[in-house]
Amino acid sequence: MKHRPLYLSALIHAGLSLACAAVLYPVLWVVKLSLSPTEALSLSVNPFPETVTLDHFRTVLLASDSAGRWLFGRQLLASVAVSGATTLVGLSLAVTAAYALSRYRFPGKEGGMQVLLLTQMFPATLMTVPLYSLLEKLHLLGSLGGLVLVYSTASLPFCVWMLKGYFDTVPRELEEAAVMDGASPGQVFWKVVLPLARPALAVTALFSFMTAWNEFILAATLLDDQASFTLPVALQRFVGEYKTEWGKFAAGALIVSAPVMGLFYALQKHLVGGLTAGGVKG
Amino acid sequence: MSDVQLTNIHKSFGITRIVKGVDLHVRSGEFLVMVGPSGCGKTTLLRLISGLESPDIGDVHMGGVRVTDTPPRDRDVAMVFQSYALYPHMTVRENLAFGLELRKLPRKEIQTRVEEAAGQLELAHLLDRKPKQLSGGQRQRVAMGRALVRRPRVFLFDEPLSNLDTALRVQMRGELARLHRKLGATMVYVTHDQVEAMTLATRVAVFNGGKLQQVGSPLELYNAPTNQFVATFLGSPSMNFLAARRESGTLSGPGFSLPCGVDLGEVKDVKVGLRPQDLRVQGDGEFSGTVEAVERLGSDGYAFLQTAAGPLVSRFDRGTNVQVGDNVKVCLLSNALHVFSADGEAAILHPGDERPRVEVPA
Amino acid sequence: MNAARTGALALLLVAGAAAAAPPLRLWHAYRGAEEAALEQAVKRFTEESGTQVELLALPYDAFASKLASAIPHGVGPDVFLYAHEKLRSFREKGLLARADSRLVAADYLPNALPALQLDGATWGYPLSLKCLALYYDRDRVPSPPATTDEWLLQLEQLSRPEDGQFGLAYEAGDFYFHAPFLFGFGGTLFDGAGHARFTGKPMEDSLAFVLGLHRRGYLPEEASGALVKSLFNAQRVAMVISGPWFAGEISPEMNWGIAPLPSVSSTGLPLAPFLGVEAAFVSSRTQQAEGAQSLAHFLSVGDGAYLRATAGKQVPADTASHRTDAVKRDVFISRFKDAALHAVPMPHDLELQKMWEPMKLALRGLLQGGTTPEAAGALADRRYRALHRPAPPDAPVMPWLWGAAVLGLAAAGWAFSTRSREPFRKRYPEAWRGLAYVAPAAVGVVVLILVPFSVGIGLSLFHHEPSGAYRFVGLSNFTDILQSRGYAITEPLSFYFTLFVTVAWAAINVVLHVGIGLLLALVLKDPLLRLRGLYRVLLILPWAIPNYITALMWKGLFHRQFGAINALLVAVGVEPVSWFTRFSTAFAANVVTNTWLGFPFMMVVSLGALQSIPQDLYEAAEVDGASKWVQFRRITLPLLRPALLPSVILGSVWTFNMFNIIYLVSGGEPGGATDILVSEAYRWAFQRNEQYGFAAAYSVLIFAVLWLYTTATKRLTATEAA
Ligand SMILES: Nc1ncnc2c1ncn2[C@@H]1O[C@H](COP(=O)(O)OP(=O)(O)OP(=O)(O)O)[C@@H](O)[C@H]1O
Ligand SMILES: [Mg+2]
Repeated sequence: MKHRPLYLSALIHAGLSLACAAVLYPVLWVVKLSLSPTEALSLSVNPFPETVTLDHFRTVLLASDSAGRWLFGRQLLASVAVSGATTLVGLSLAVTAAYALSRYRFPGKEGGMQVLLLTQMFPATLMTVPLYSLLEKLHLLGSLGGLVLVYSTASLPFCVWMLKGYFDTVPRELEEAAVMDGASPGQVFWKVVLPLARPALAVTALFSFMTAWNEFILAATLLDDQASFTLPVALQRFVGEYKTEWGKFAAGALIVSAPVMGLFYALQKHLVGGLTAGGVKG
Repeated sequence: MSDVQLTNIHKSFGITRIVKGVDLHVRSGEFLVMVGPSGCGKTTLLRLISGLESPDIGDVHMGGVRVTDTPPRDRDVAMVFQSYALYPHMTVRENLAFGLELRKLPRKEIQTRVEEAAGQLELAHLLDRKPKQLSGGQRQRVAMGRALVRRPRVFLFDEPLSNLDTALRVQMRGELARLHRKLGATMVYVTHDQVEAMTLATRVAVFNGGKLQQVGSPLELYNAPTNQFVATFLGSPSMNFLAARRESGTLSGPGFSLPCGVDLGEVKDVKVGLRPQDLRVQGDGEFSGTVEAVERLGSDGYAFLQTAAGPLVSRFDRGTNVQVGDNVKVCLLSNALHVFSADGEAAILHPGDERPRVEVPA
Repeated sequence: MNAARTGALALLLVAGAAAAAPPLRLWHAYRGAEEAALEQAVKRFTEESGTQVELLALPYDAFASKLASAIPHGVGPDVFLYAHEKLRSFREKGLLARADSRLVAADYLPNALPALQLDGATWGYPLSLKCLALYYDRDRVPSPPATTDEWLLQLEQLSRPEDGQFGLAYEAGDFYFHAPFLFGFGGTLFDGAGHARFTGKPMEDSLAFVLGLHRRGYLPEEASGALVKSLFNAQRVAMVISGPWFAGEISPEMNWGIAPLPSVSSTGLPLAPFLGVEAAFVSSRTQQAEGAQSLAHFLSVGDGAYLRATAGKQVPADTASHRTDAVKRDVFISRFKDAALHAVPMPHDLELQKMWEPMKLALRGLLQGGTTPEAAGALADRRYRALHRPAPPDAPVMPWLWGAAVLGLAAAGWAFSTRSREPFRKRYPEAWRGLAYVAPAAVGVVVLILVPFSVGIGLSLFHHEPSGAYRFVGLSNFTDILQSRGYAITEPLSFYFTLFVTVAWAAINVVLHVGIGLLLALVLKDPLLRLRGLYRVLLILPWAIPNYITALMWKGLFHRQFGAINALLVAVGVEPVSWFTRFSTAFAANVVTNTWLGFPFMMVVSLGALQSIPQDLYEAAEVDGASKWVQFRRITLPLLRPALLPSVILGSVWTFNMFNIIYLVSGGEPGGATDILVSEAYRWAFQRNEQYGFAAAYSVLIFAVLWLYTTATKRLTATEAA
């Protein structure tokens, strides 16, 4: 690798710092809101809090219900369970479907890809009511499992398209080599295809996770127990009919976003290039 | 028993017919070399044997058992891909061990086999690299190694030495021949290299346009090609062909006339095939022409002539002085005449034949 | 008291016998002190009756729709707490049971019960009253004004807009806050025929009065609830019009008082606010009617009401608790009780529901757009007419069924005739494996997406009656939309204008998202870049934080008077911009916010997609002497296309349907001009009397537009690739 001239590095870092500043400025307001005792919007340009209190964080983190259950803990657990399961279920559905769409020929394949895309075009708001009836018929109301199914199908179209596009770039001969080496279709998939699709897997995993992690309307509508609500539902509780508890909302929003950042940090090492390099000639 | 029998194999991709009715028996323990021009379906045939493709029509038997519908991993076959197909996310060691691990071989055994193969292929110092850190030739050797460690009944090699330097190629060739003797496995080997074909093969199969042209020992093919294609394909420089007319005991064309002691029957127009190795530039001979180019291989070499009957390549011996622009004479060594039908589809006569091989009508 | 004790004891015994009865389910959206008080009251109920109660606190935003979904399926609560304004809607959906004989009119304040009466019956137990009053800063307002004349004098002294000091703050753009002025100037909501009324002298007078407050700089601009609160706590406004909920938001350092709103000097009428009555409703599908009624009743009177007043700071609707010492001593509650007695119960008539949007338009036009009071009234009137179209006539169903049958046959015939002659096994050698792999995903998609989706499409052929019934109307919904009834094609609110805005919105956003995302990804993929991980993680922040709050932060940044963006403009010597009064700037504000929110996703996707490009291509290009730019154009872009195209298509589809940013930032201002098609659909479905059929028709049109777009994109890329 060649070395970049110093001025270019400086330029790049300056640009990135600027971008980060633009990203951070509104976020700092959220931080300020979460730390200031009055929950008030600040009327100045200064995004740093004048007085600091952790009360809002405390309220959010220590919330418990009348039965003395530690709500935040349970809801965090529910959120992690739902989002984790959504990622797992959604990704396994998407990975298998995308693999088949990339590798096999079967009737209805092109049509299916189109339909996946089409489902994204109909505004979701109108689908809640029929969805509710449906889940009721399937006895999936009030269970985290039902929610997981809904979320994973909701994230499917993107995941399938993304993964299919990536699988298409993995040379077929690598799979055939594995077949010759005696791998079963499952082993080919696990040991050869998946490791090579890591960047796409990382992106889709993050996407599926986010689909579940930040959603509250369906979660509030489909779940019936305070303790199994996901965190966004708890967060949305701070928005009332007449007033919004901004300080707590901001604190909650920051808490909710922390795991996402962590997940992304963990996943980003898979966003590395040249995974298929050197595999095949030409 | 690990013979491979292909029976009336047909294969198309979409509407293009690629393999058009191939019957071929690869004998157990044989080293069969497949040759043929690029795109003639050699790789496709290997894939049909390996089970990566299944034939549209026809059957594949291995060891007397029909395996047409058997998946590749149950055929006990290893294949070296033309494009290597190394696993990019695994080290060389892992690449080599992969197939053995899948077959649940004991760890010890895997290690010894990997190390043995690495030694044979001079890969020992590269075992912990990833494919993208290897040179083209090194990659190709890893691809070979992956097949070797498996020790299957049947090896399929798709141009496995094409990327190696000459010295290494010679060495690998020797290694392969030794391995073949040692393992006694059946090997099917695709190559574009004549020397490889001639030196390694028990038998050579020549393909063209999806059809098997001829199969036989290298010498058989060299001495008695069944048609013009095979004759052209083997031997370097390739055989000369001149259109000729049969006139009672002689075959003559513009500016030449060759005696032919065998009665060829009714046929009038033929093609005579003359191997450059059987021609000599001499003071006197059946042909005369102008030298257009000279290829010297040390002291002797080949002269490229233009004669009245068309271009002609002839050998010249050490001591013969041939220069571009010279007018020279060329003579045919005795008993070296090949005769083909005018369309080149059939061989009528090869040196040493008493009777024409086929009856070609006038 | 004694009787009650024995009664309770008897109940306890009965309850002991029937211990297996499931607990009563009570749903609410209370928070904080109100929630705590409710929990205490419920505990008391359990102690006295022996009946267990299971509480479920829901986010307000999801509450009504959850009730409407759950109760008809028999999985809802036994009792739920809600404000009375939804009474008619709940009643027509059949969610409510009547209050039984436990309810005694004399137990409640006089204007509480009428709010809950409909069709000759009472449908809930009134819990608490909510209405507006005047909060004032005692340090600066020694005595609250009794008349508007006094008020104006005080405001004149208290306001110094150039220093950011204002006399009064309230959410002036909201009809709920304007209604007191309308009533104070002698206006009524409805005309003689019961239709909403937007013109006439009282309306104009009230609008002119508010406009005067605004012109003279007594009011801050674009006041939201949060801004009002912040200004009051910062002592930058002296008076605030708000309801009981505001008390909890005032910082403890403030010395404040509450008074009823003053009377209008010219008419002598009080500025009478709307009265909202929160009630305990019994579900029509409860399995334990007895227990549910008794719980609802318990909460509304006696200990229940007392606890809510003392612990929850609610203004109870029952009379008894107002006679207790503790409540009497509470100035806050008694002041609000006084205000409530003068308040006008908010009609639960559907006609009122139709007024919010037109009035909002009129008020915003007046305060920000420079519209005159007369014109503002007319504006509202016109919007009202456009939004509340007469129900379309029934259409015959049979021709549709025949049409569907013929279409189905034709499709089947076509599918059959185009079938390839090649045998299936040859054409699709691995079809079964492929289908098996796809099957789980396909089942999920078909059941959970396609079924609701078909229902949604089907809805577009129906009209949703206020009563909840659906009537088949054929294509009328579509013709209404496409003819853009009531508006010229070039006006906001016509389908075509909105379509244009939507397309511009989607196009600009996607270009910016992809452009910025790709640029950052290109920079951040370099493995030699220092702090790469830190940059990456910081830059996805906008995606990670729930956008509800960040969008509102952005709205705050765009505020005319207090926003940081205008402060920045002023710092560089540019006039501050009133962002939401002009289409171009409001649109720009939306785009900026959405770009901020949207680029991280594209950055992540690009980071992933870039990894599939082999590095040696760049090396080859470098050898060929290609500059970085040429490498980008000729290698990166073409090779990225397949991996990025799905995300770009999906990204544009999502942006096309991204209504919450519009909703949270510009709110469609000015006058609905920045609304996009989905936000229109959303309004039709949820803010304009639940015209689901019409909303569905909008959605189908959105769907059609997007379909055209994606097919065109694919054609285009296909021909380019060829
Ligand atoms: N999957 C496929 N789909 C369509 N056509 C194919 C496919 N695989 C091979 N072909 C075609 O079949 C023909 C034979 O291909 P094959 O790879 O067998 O040739 P080959 O003899 O190995 O050539 P080479 O010596 O160049 O490797 C070629 O014309 C090729 O274009
Ligand atoms: Mg080949």
